[in-house]
Amino acid sequence: MTPRPPARATQILERSLRDDPAGPAIVGDVLEDFVRRARDHGEASARRWYWQEVLRLVGRRWLRGHVAGADPRPSRWRAFATDAVHASRTIRRSPGPALFTATVIGLGVGGATAVFSVMKPFVWAPLPFEDPHELVWIQNEVEDGEGSLSALTVRSANLYDLRARGRSFEALSGFNAFFDHAAYTLTGRGEPVRMAGADVAHDFLDVLGVRPMYGRSFRPEDSQGDIGAAPVLLTHGLWTRLFGGDPAVVGSTLALDGASREIIGVLPASFDFSSVFSPGISVDLLLPFPVIADGDPGFQGNTLYLVGRLSPGVTVEAAQSETDAILNALGEETPGRWGLDAALVPLAEYIGGPFRPTLFALVGAAGLLLAIVCINLSNLALARAPRRAREVAVRKALGAPRSRLIRELLLESVGVGIVGALIGTAVAWALIGLAPRAADMNVPLLDTITIDGGALAFAIVLAVLTSSIASTLPALRVVDGSEAGTLRSGSRGQSSGRRERKTREALIVAEVSFAFALLVVCGLLGRSFAHVLDVDLGFESSDAIAWQLAPSIPFETAQAAADHFDALTDRVREVSGVEAVGLVDALPLGRNRAWPFSVIGQPEQAEERRQAFPHIVDAGYLRAMHIEIAEGRDFARSDAEATDRVVILNESGARQVFGTQSPIGEKMKFFGPWEWEVVGVARDVRHVGPETSAGIQAYFPIAQMRGFHTLDLVVRTSLDHTVAAARVGEALQVVDPSMPVRETWTLESTVDRSLSTRRFTLSVLLAFGVAALLLAGLGVYGVLAYSVAERETEMRIRMALGATAAAVATSLFGRTAFLASVGIALGAGAAASLRGVLEPLLFGVRALDPVTFGGIALLLMALALLAAAGPAGRAAKSGSALGATE
Amino acid sequence: MAKLGEFELLVLLSVLRQGDTPYANRVREDLEAHARRRVTRGALYGTLDRLTEKGFLEWTLDASNVPERGGHPMRRLTVTPDGLAAIRSAREVLDTFFGGLDQLTEGA
Repeated sequence: MTPRPPARATQILERSLRDDPAGPAIVGDVLEDFVRRARDHGEASARRWYWQEVLRLVGRRWLRGHVAGADPRPSRWRAFATDAVHASRTIRRSPGPALFTATVIGLGVGGATAVFSVMKPFVWAPLPFEDPHELVWIQNEVEDGEGSLSALTVRSANLYDLRARGRSFEALSGFNAFFDHAAYTLTGRGEPVRMAGADVAHDFLDVLGVRPMYGRSFRPEDSQGDIGAAPVLLTHGLWTRLFGGDPAVVGSTLALDGASREIIGVLPASFDFSSVFSPGISVDLLLPFPVIADGDPGFQGNTLYLVGRLSPGVTVEAAQSETDAILNALGEETPGRWGLDAALVPLAEYIGGPFRPTLFALVGAAGLLLAIVCINLSNLALARAPRRAREVAVRKALGAPRSRLIRELLLESVGVGIVGALIGTAVAWALIGLAPRAADMNVPLLDTITIDGGALAFAIVLAVLTSSIASTLPALRVVDGSEAGTLRSGSRGQSSGRRERKTREALIVAEVSFAFALLVVCGLLGRSFAHVLDVDLGFESSDAIAWQLAPSIPFETAQAAADHFDALTDRVREVSGVEAVGLVDALPLGRNRAWPFSVIGQPEQAEERRQAFPHIVDAGYLRAMHIEIAEGRDFARSDAEATDRVVILNESGARQVFGTQSPIGEKMKFFGPWEWEVVGVARDVRHVGPETSAGIQAYFPIAQMRGFHTLDLVVRTSLDHTVAAARVGEALQVVDPSMPVRETWTLESTVDRSLSTRRFTLSVLLAFGVAALLLAGLGVYGVLAYSVAERETEMRIRMALGATAAAVATSLFGRTAFLASVGIALGAGAAASLRGVLEPLLFGVRALDPVTFGGIALLLMALALLAAAGPAGRAAKSGSALGATE
Repeated sequence: MAKLGEFELLVLLSVLRQGDTPYANRVREDLEAHARRRVTRGALYGTLDRLTEKGFLEWTLDASNVPERGGHPMRRLTVTPDGLAAIRSAREVLDTFFGGLDQLTEGA
């Protein structure tokens, strides 16, 4: 069978040849070649060739005004296309400089595109929910900005009452903020596995507008009755991991902590609970959480985060004032009811807000880098201008209009810009790759960061813009030069005069000043990072490994739990290579919470404002963590359920509560009827993060605190992580065979995670900084080298008139130092004006840190002089060579 | 008489070389094979149009029985007397300039 060419292409060809008497013969020619090609190279290749051939032919005819129906006069578009073709030819003729330019553009645009992509989920991409602008986040008001979780969470009774009385919300729901304090053990599917489940109110998913991919959502009855047997929803991740993505899993059961639970549905991949609401903490399951009135049995304290959907037309402010009114009324109806606060923020603001300062710093840095790129390229193009000027002068003399010459030069830069955009996209890709995986970083929505079509479009627009801005000034110079002068002056432009030199020197000053500002940002954040690393966390993070233990046995009493945990730690202590073992309900830099307290003998003023961060620990914990006892004693196993209640405070806590007096022997009340006697004072631990002060912390013995059955085990050992994990895991399973022990982590990795945002920001900024340094160095070198080459004659004359080689070199160094100083001074002003943006990101260093400013100034000055060394040497040499010949 | 460019001269000569089948595709193949240059379709058609305008070339549409052409006609190219005169004149110029340079211009 005769191969057939693409019909659409033939149609296009025939239409363009409509008015050409030779048209049918031309179509026949192309067709004939197509059939032969199909026979020799296969039909697919021939079809591709046919399309190319047709488009080339039609394009050429269009450019020449031969297309049927086209106006034979050169249209604006046709002229534009001709210029584009000419520009692309010019680039192909000397690809070296074009490629260099494109690479420099790629560096700048790559940085900006990476920042664009990182910003997207925080600044303008909608959250992955239905009508996300209607969603608000509700938490308790925080006064000190360092509140621990209990100060932020809302009492579940408030949700109950707000639902009943409020009109501002179409729907209101929430989830248990402390879900990660407990873990579930999945049994019956091979080795026991630890599962993390987030407890959500039954209508939580409905409020967000998230529907399960299979099965159904929670119903009110799911959270009533025996919560321990309530049904579960699987996250998409767990469903693919554990069930191989089998939809038939809906309706079957899972054994969690020994109880059989029905799987009622599977969540869609687009809804990643952890990525939005608990970054860095993985979530495998959703479980229903009961929302009941204050005082009802099963009431759960101050535990919820609320998410509400505003009724149509209701603003956040209106909803806030209604909520305040309801809470005030509740306070009046029930005197003594506490926790009646609520601050409403748009959900997107709550999630993205904390990262804004970092993003602004990155945007600023990317902008500075781009400005440096523009200046650098402007300079490069200016240096090449005389060569281009000659070609342009010829065409001008032949009558080419000015506008057309400018357009052609700009089109060239558009072409270079597009190549630069492609390089930039690759650079952005690499930069995004620097970002740690979501699980290692406490940043929400991290998994949604990609280089997508939008980023590519952004890169192209930015690169073309950069390229055009950089080439506008040189293009004007080239086109407006006097053709007579240019043509007379031989192949290389002669001394281009004072004005030109001033322009280039101004560009150097600008470049140095932008580089200075960018490097100061890098320097300040680098110093902040060093200060953060230097913070004494209060515990020793090296050589320590942790497990989350969720025993498979139910405990009747706190003492029974303590005995079981003692048996576990005793066994682990026997493992060879283990130096110390301890247990705690929440390791530092991890989970968070606060309890209100009062002191016996102190007036109970402002009780709500005094909150302590509680740690439930065993007698070995403080020693295993290397947290020193400053006063009094450590816990012992004799601190049992039956003995007097005892508590250890941290130093800051002791100071804040008891002033300069010793707290030992003082008594405190937390909840419940007991009085807790302070028996010791431990050194401060930075629990929330290295940058947040310790606050008031209280340690309680496990045996005296009921209900804490999921604990973190910390083992201090110099053994290799995997060796220790295997040995300790074995020892634990001797005591509790069905307890999952696979998942372990090092305390160092926890510390790393708490630093991850800072480290990522810094590494991106450092990449920008290095690029800025390189470009600034190149820029200074390029301008000086050019200026030396250009002024060779002048230098010869000066040396002939008695100037020494040293004097010539010195004058060049002097000029460079002067230009660099002006640039540094301007840059210092610019950097100082960034103070407001930078301050929230700094730690232990001021925005106007003289060490940073001075250091960067020295660095840039040294770089400028180094860049001047080559040209200065050449200048001196050219002068002495002349001395020898004359 | 109008001037004749180098490529135009080659095209006219190639048309003459085709004998019975002076068609665009054959001319293009001839030029690609023997003039050691890549000839795009657009450039060839442009040149044919220009030569026609200058009066050096004429063409007529012939029905074609080549099956690959799917029934499309062929353009039979004929060099006009003016075209022949232009070729001769170009040759004279070349001969004049080549004259006496045989030792240099013929290979070793």
